[in-house]
Order: sequence, then C-alpha cells, then structure tokens
Amino acid sequence: MNSDPWWSVPFAGGLAVTLMLAFAGAGLFLRGSVWQALAVGQWAALGGVVAATVTLPVVPVAVSLAGAVMILLHRIRDRERWPLALFLAGLALVTLLSANLPQANLAAARWAEGQVYFLDRELLWTIVSVTVASLLLAPLLVRIWLSAQASPDVGLRSTHRGGFVVLEAAWWVGVLVLGTAALGLPAALAALLLPAWGAASVARGLSGFLALSLLLGTTVFMLGWFSALHLDQPFAPVFVTWALIIAAVPRATLFLVDSWKSNGSRKRQIDQRTGDRRS
Amino acid sequence: MSASPESAQPILSCTNIRVGFDRPVLGPLDLRLGRGEKMVLTGPNGAGKSLLLRCLIGKARVFSGQVQRSPRTKTCLLAQEHPRPALWPLNGHDWFRALGARVPGDSSVRTLLSRRLDRLSGGQWQLLRLAAVLHTSADILLLDEPANHLDAEVRDSALGLLQSLPPNTALLMTSHDAQFLAGTGFPEVPLADLL
Repeated sequence: MNSDPWWSVPFAGGLAVTLMLAFAGAGLFLRGSVWQALAVGQWAALGGVVAATVTLPVVPVAVSLAGAVMILLHRIRDRERWPLALFLAGLALVTLLSANLPQANLAAARWAEGQVYFLDRELLWTIVSVTVASLLLAPLLVRIWLSAQASPDVGLRSTHRGGFVVLEAAWWVGVLVLGTAALGLPAALAALLLPAWGAASVARGLSGFLALSLLLGTTVFMLGWFSALHLDQPFAPVFVTWALIIAAVPRATLFLVDSWKSNGSRKRQIDQRTGDRRS
Repeated sequence: MSASPESAQPILSCTNIRVGFDRPVLGPLDLRLGRGEKMVLTGPNGAGKSLLLRCLIGKARVFSGQVQRSPRTKTCLLAQEHPRPALWPLNGHDWFRALGARVPGDSSVRTLLSRRLDRLSGGQWQLLRLAAVLHTSADILLLDEPANHLDAEVRDSALGLLQSLPPNTALLMTSHDAQFLAGTGFPEVPLADLL
C-alpha cells in the first residue's frame, strides 16, 4: 500500500462497486428477486474461497459458480425456497472448507469481513471495465426493468427477447461477484438491498428512485469507509451497520411526516366538531 | 361506434383453435375480428373468456387450429387483475412508459400521472391502467374485465376513454358489468356462439 498513500485504488474501486450494487439493487427491487441475490452472492463467495484454496484466479471461478446458480434459478419456478436452499448449501460448503483447510479459512474470513482496503490494481481494472459496461448498459437495463413492471398487462414494450434476458443475467452475476470480491459478501448484499429499500419508500418515480438509491449507496460507502478506518474495524460489518441506519432514515422520515399529517387532520376534525357543538 | 364484421378488414382470425395451458381446455372455436371492429365477449365465469384473450396475446398455448394476424399487427392486453407491490416507487408517467403509451389529454388521467402507483385508490389504478392500454398505438386491444374496481368517480372517465378510441383500433373485451357494457355500446357476442 506504500505506492498508494491516499488509498485511492481501494477507495475508487469500493465506491464504483457500491454504486453498481446500489443501481443493481434498484433493479432487483423492481424485479422482486431478492432471494436470488442471496444465493448468487453466496456462491460467488464460495467460488472465491475455492479459487483462493487451489490458487486459481478468483474472479473467473466466482463468476462460473455464481453464473451456474443464476442459470439454475432461472429455470426454477419457486423463487423463494430454492434460492434459500442454494444459499444454505453455499454457506455450508464455505463453512466446511474453512473448517478443514487453513487456506480456505483465511479466504472465507476475507470474503466475510470485506477487505476493501487491500483492493489491488488488477481488481480495480476489472471494476473499471464492468463500470464502463454498466454505464453503457444502464438505459437498456432500466427499460427492461420498467417494461417488466407491466406484467400481467401487455403493452407495446412488454416483450422480452432471450438475448436481453441473458445479457441482464450476465450483468447481475458480474456486478455481484465483483461486489462480493471487493466489499465482502455481507457488505455486497447490504449495498444491493438496503439503499434501494430506503429509496423506494420516498421516491416519487423511477428516476428519483434510481438517483436516491445511488445517493444512499454513496453515503453508506463514505460513512463505512471512514468509520471502519477510524475505528480500525473490519469493513463489511461497519458498512452493513451504516446501510441499515441510512436505509431507515427515509422510512422513518416518511413515517413521521404521515403521523404529523394524520395528527393534523384529526386535530382539525376535533376543532370542527367542537365548533359545531358551540354554534 | 363499432364497425360490422362484414364491412371491416380482417385483422385477426382464429380457425378451429383449441387452447389451454398444460392441456387444451377450450375449443375448438372460430373467431374473426375486423380492423376497427369492437366486440364484447360474454359468458359465465370459468367459460374461458380470459383464457382466449391470453391465448391471443401469446400467454396461453394453441394446441391445434390456426391463429392468423395481419402483418405487423400490434396487440396489447389489459389483464383482469394487476396486484400492486406494497412498496412501488413508480408514478403514472413511468406506467405509460412501461406500456409504450402516449400521455392522454384526459384531465382525469393527467391528474394521476405524477402520483405513485402504490398510493392510488383501486378505481384510480384501474383507470390509469385502462387509459395506458387505450393510448398505445396497438391495432388490437384485448381488455379483460376493464370495469373491475371502477367506482362511480372514475367510471364515466373510463367510458369516455373507450368511446374515444380511434376507429381503426379493433377491440375484444370481456365484462360482467351490464351497466358498463350498455355504456360502451359495443355489440355482445356470447363465447358459446364461437364454439
């Protein structure tokens, strides 16, 4: 890390991955495929642990396993039990590997804790490539997610060609694998699920939803980055804690505004009744 | 209001079709829809009206017989129900974009466009869905029980939208709401007559 005293490589890589995950999370929220993300993320982590154990390149192995799970899940109608079962299977395999092999134990700890501060230039370039691809694909992805909302109605844009489905699935896998490799599994899942969840409660439309998801994701990363550094704590759990807090802010604000409005209207009704009785 | 089948150009014709999901459960039946023709399919619950509409949009399987459409025909469907997620960060403009529809001039619909879809009443949601489907440039519109959930407040707006359809747009609709059907003025065809 001496050649990078300002930690610019891990900072840039971590922020880019967080933004991609927050964007992907918005799509995941619209698609309603939260369980799939759990399973695919866990198998990406398993791929990373296996690759580190047998000294293979991490990203290709993680992409292969995560991709295989994604293909399997696309073929299965049960969108809750099967992903959960696969998530548990992946978790069990990681635990068994790390219990029996010292090298796997180290890798599993790295994927669980999130070693974003040790993100190297090689992974950064992969992240930059996928970020550029994501920027180019974003308009198409948004259109696919939006047109998927129409179902069971069928509009003029409701048709999904097979090529688009494969492209979207490949992009999901790529982002999730990179997110898991860079931030650790818990932080990657938190970046995927929580900013979009927080944004969904207050956004007034699709553009606002996407923008707010990205803004919340950025805020979480900044807070997680500096507080984990300052407190000398593992990145992933600190990131998850901030993600929970930040995602709760819009929901809590909305709750307070709604309560204030309903109290106001109740007070007006009581005042009106009191006025009617007096007159 | 509706062109007669004899005078209209055929845009859709079904000949001797048997349809279903896993196995054929309806048919054989024949149907012919002229360009610009408007028709209401009637029949008891479970007769297969919704299944027929889903088959015409490619969401159910044709086991035998022939379905023929004019070249480059665009078809849209308003499904019988569209349950909304509890948290749905989309507004009316997004909905029209999702269906590839142009924004209508009707004021009762325009007032709904900036509102979140999950905060509309059931009647407002149904009106918005109906307006979006009707404002696509589809050649054939399939409407499955469009009067569902329409309360008195939005009923007239829905009828107004249906009556202002372009003359070239063909429409096949199902409904159990006799008052609504009378308001449209479209001819009724019992499903049993197609079998």
